[in-house]
Amino acid sequence: MAASLPHYSSQSGVSYSSRHVRHREAPASVYQGFCSKTYRKLVSDQSPSGFPLNAVFMQQGLATAATEKVTPLKQMKDGMLPLSPPQEGLDDLGSMKEERESTVSITVVGASGDLAKKKIFPALFALFYEDCLPKHFTVYGYARSKMTDAELRNMVAKTLTCRIDKRENCSDKMEQFLKRCFYHSGQYDSEENFAALDKKLKEHEASRLSNRLFYLSTPPSIFIDAVRCASQSASSANGWTRVIVEKPFGRDLGSSAALTRALKQYLEEEQIFRIDHYLGKELVENLSVLRFSNLVFEPLWSRQYIRNVQFLFSEDFGTEGRGGYFDNYGIIRDIMQNHLLQILALFAMETPVSLDAEDIRNEKVKVLRSMRHLQLEDVVIGQYKSHTKGGISYPSYLDDKTVPKNSLTPTFAAAALFIDNARWDGVPFLMKAGKALHTRRAEIRVQFRHVPGNLYKRSFGTDLDRATNELVIRVQPDEAIYLKINNKIPGLGMRLDRSNLNLHYAARYSKEIPDAYERLLLDAIEGERRLFIRSDELDAAWELFTPLLKEIEEKKIAPELYPYGSRGPVGAHYLAAKYNVRWGDLNAEHQHES
Amino acid sequence: MMARCSFDSWLSTILSPSSFECEQLSWKSMWPNRRNSVHLFHVSAKFYRRRKLFGKTTNGSSVMVLFKQDGLATNTPANGPLAGKSTIGELRPLSTSEENPEGVNFGKGVMESTISITVVGASGDLAKKKIFPALFALYYEGFLPKHFTVFGYARSKMTDEELRTMVSKTLTCRIDQRENCGDKMEQFLKRCFYHSGQYNSEENFAELDKKLREKEVGKVPNRLFYLSIPPNIFVDVVRCASYSASSSTGWTRVIVEKPFGRDSESSAELTRCLKLYLNEDQIFRIDHYLGKELVENLSVLRFSNLVFEPLWSRNYIRNVQFIFSEDFGTEGRGGYFDSYGIIRDIMQNHLLQILALFAMETPVSLDAEDIRNEKVKVLRSMRPLQLDDVITGQYKGHMKGGKAYPAYTDDPTVPNDSLTATFAAAALFIDNARWDGVPFLMKAGKALHKRGAEIRVQFRHVPGNLYKRTFGTDLDKATNELVIRVQPDETIYLKINNKIPGLGMRLDRSNLDLHYAARYPREIPDAYERLLLDAIEGERRLFIRSDELDAAWALFSPLLKELEEKKIAPELYPYGSRGPVGAHYLAAKYNVRWGDLSSDGQE
Repeated sequence: MAASLPHYSSQSGVSYSSRHVRHREAPASVYQGFCSKTYRKLVSDQSPSGFPLNAVFMQQGLATAATEKVTPLKQMKDGMLPLSPPQEGLDDLGSMKEERESTVSITVVGASGDLAKKKIFPALFALFYEDCLPKHFTVYGYARSKMTDAELRNMVAKTLTCRIDKRENCSDKMEQFLKRCFYHSGQYDSEENFAALDKKLKEHEASRLSNRLFYLSTPPSIFIDAVRCASQSASSANGWTRVIVEKPFGRDLGSSAALTRALKQYLEEEQIFRIDHYLGKELVENLSVLRFSNLVFEPLWSRQYIRNVQFLFSEDFGTEGRGGYFDNYGIIRDIMQNHLLQILALFAMETPVSLDAEDIRNEKVKVLRSMRHLQLEDVVIGQYKSHTKGGISYPSYLDDKTVPKNSLTPTFAAAALFIDNARWDGVPFLMKAGKALHTRRAEIRVQFRHVPGNLYKRSFGTDLDRATNELVIRVQPDEAIYLKINNKIPGLGMRLDRSNLNLHYAARYSKEIPDAYERLLLDAIEGERRLFIRSDELDAAWELFTPLLKEIEEKKIAPELYPYGSRGPVGAHYLAAKYNVRWGDLNAEHQHES
Repeated sequence: MMARCSFDSWLSTILSPSSFECEQLSWKSMWPNRRNSVHLFHVSAKFYRRRKLFGKTTNGSSVMVLFKQDGLATNTPANGPLAGKSTIGELRPLSTSEENPEGVNFGKGVMESTISITVVGASGDLAKKKIFPALFALYYEGFLPKHFTVFGYARSKMTDEELRTMVSKTLTCRIDQRENCGDKMEQFLKRCFYHSGQYNSEENFAELDKKLREKEVGKVPNRLFYLSIPPNIFVDVVRCASYSASSSTGWTRVIVEKPFGRDSESSAELTRCLKLYLNEDQIFRIDHYLGKELVENLSVLRFSNLVFEPLWSRNYIRNVQFIFSEDFGTEGRGGYFDSYGIIRDIMQNHLLQILALFAMETPVSLDAEDIRNEKVKVLRSMRPLQLDDVITGQYKGHMKGGKAYPAYTDDPTVPNDSLTATFAAAALFIDNARWDGVPFLMKAGKALHKRGAEIRVQFRHVPGNLYKRTFGTDLDKATNELVIRVQPDETIYLKINNKIPGLGMRLDRSNLDLHYAARYPREIPDAYERLLLDAIEGERRLFIRSDELDAAWALFSPLLKELEEKKIAPELYPYGSRGPVGAHYLAAKYNVRWGDLSSDGQE
């Protein structure tokens, strides 16, 4: 495939060697302010003239599928080996600035859509005012509707906000940012229209090294058309070209594989950035830090001490008139198979060789491939029904006009998964995801075993399992980490109590936590693939869920109905009970936690 | 057996062998009655969770059944047959007559019991500041038995009224118990009496006995003596109390405060003398640090949380630190201190006791003897201290903000050439399988920059840390640390590494913490309350057994002797400073950093 599009591989190969320097502590960073103080895996060099030089040191192109690039890059996997002779003298960087000045053009395909307006443009702006974007950049909106640049700017301006702690010069910054935003109207399947875009991009890029990022914020049905046109007509001639794709990545193993195959006709594996925005959440990022940089967690992280792990996601609203897309997918595809499974893989993986994207993704794939396929009896599905509370009546899923009257699509699901490897054999990994529940939250709960031969067992009553330790990582809202421990209630008696050793992010870190999209966009610009999903990961994920999904659909399994705003169907409790587990979020004591 | 008790110069009591032998017999003859474990206590059911069991009788008064092993002390084989081992941990009939607890009120043969608490040295500072207030707190919390009497005993002449006036000045109610506080005080004071007498006069104690009997009439009398007096009269008082004022049918217990001697020999001598008059299980050696809330909680943390279990050994723990500091000096009261020094005053008892609790193996049960057995094992596995593993210091005068702080030797009660240590740091080692090679560091000092007591557990670094580039060169700066702050401001926290929220990958040490004041708004009871209550209930877990004391002294005596013989000069440090720098070098020798003095120690 790549051979049929020679300019892709050759161009990207060249660009790697010209830009990537490994493992170098930067003497100074181009990025002013926040990003410059930040230790990202990216190190930036300041050339004497002040121009930014991106020095990315992840193993670009070391993707399993892109074999032709593996060899040259492998040589420089460790250490600070020069990438190619011209780079040997890093001090010469300044003198080579003409060739090196680069620019990035970010094209949001589907610019008039909801995601673009609510997430992508605001994230780009946040990166801009945090000084995380390269000096030279251009943002292009691309969609079918006719719009002028000014109209686009108007539209974008409405959604931009500054963080509370960055209010100074906010409007100045907005203006500067909007000046770099442009619009191009075109069909998604028209190579001519993309060629016209290419022409405009070239004007902005002038003589600089041009890097191009396409964000496909479009329905999945036009992914391939857009990729084809972008790659044929609007890819960068001398820099890199990357494409960010949003879920859904197919709806089962077959359709996902077909999509991947089609994308790979036009793109190399390392050009494809499959976004799972949950992986960009702060506490999901922190999960690996917690695990791998704290000795106290190391001995605990296995079947020997962990009794079960729970991945919980709940929304307190339903489809609210926008169920058309959802009805075709259902909660299992929409939340479990991607977001929750990705977090599970991160949680359960073995220690990677390094923090490099390929090392981490290799370990994640191993977890997924060690997992048992889901069985129908290990899954409970539900659908919300209408409910009247406090005089307000909440609609059922089927009341949504965009949903077929006889839809069996689950809006809630709970599942028990197992990883049949040495570390996790027999430990249930429970997932639960639902819409129209009583709270909105996403969290990971690690329930530990009970203390063998507990000296204080008389203080606990009969159920030792109620006095076990629990580590909770709350991803949203209100980021927090806490460890439930048993301690003595101060006083003259010997009464034990569960209290929390906790870290509440809002209390400790007053800065606003960046949105997941900011991190992911920045990573894509920088070529950091750690948080994006590789093709083989995606295949393995679908493989786990596809037989189950097929069975549910073929057998027309009716979901258990639960009232809007409730805690979900009781079936979830029975599923947990089957594995001798209690849902941590539905405990009696849970009220005290938030 | 030597009848003469002479430990050091301050003890000079002569006893006749025959008298104590027969006295010992008479004390032991009381044992069967002490087994009588059904007491009619008027205690509200909110205190259900202590290691006792309440059965509500039909008329509404509460019946308390103690099921701890009263009298199961190792040193008193005479008690063997009476030991209540079979009653541990479950509700079993204690004796045939008590098989039906419901019947207690109807069985006329069972008498109600009463307790007389005699504070010997009632006019002293400790009595006024700690003992009477603690008794009052127990009273208004409903922890004291229905029938009780408090007697002050001292040499000064005083009426009951005068004692009550004196006591009432120090009583306070907890913030959350302010209701009826005045009433309660009055009721409490009505039960307080005073008896004046010499500490070595059996006659005076016999008079006390007579007064006690008047209060005890018709009930099983239990007697608790709290010796709040200088150590040189311990044995006199114990002799007189045991001869002339011990309970004839109930139990008699004696609480003793430190110092328990000043080295192995004097301590052993004191123990031997006490045992002339008392059985091991009648002696309650108080170490008030063991009554502190977070020290009590230490075992709960360790043994009821799975997450700590795998960590508690040399595999994961790099070192442990026991830190005690006061922000004031002797302030004109250095007379007693100067003959002991900080090592005897703080390290050999308080810090070592906490260390033993921290490091012990899991006991068979929470019973006092099981726990103390494990503690003794730790102490006996420890290496005696070496001089080069110890740093001593003494504070010197210091001017700060226009204010002059005095040197230790400026204290008029301290000899001008005193070499007594007001600061010490030491490295100790436990040569057993769990702790081999792990330094246990202790640090204690007066006149330092802050006041506090804490335990710090520093963990090893993460092997093959993936984030090592983020930490810079010193991996040990990014290790986990568990901190248990005993005072002030009780807190437990675990320092963990986490990511600073934001687009970068910067790591930060933050705390998973439990701040007691925030979580438990109720006032935490004073250590003396707990310990007095335990003594009343015969719970010995938090008191120091003779063999523990021996083992503790065996560790420190050679060092103390060497320090004194070689006249090792303490390193001087300014009043209000962080102590002598020598402590850093001692820590560095074992590749350790003091957790309380690290740059991020401002927590």
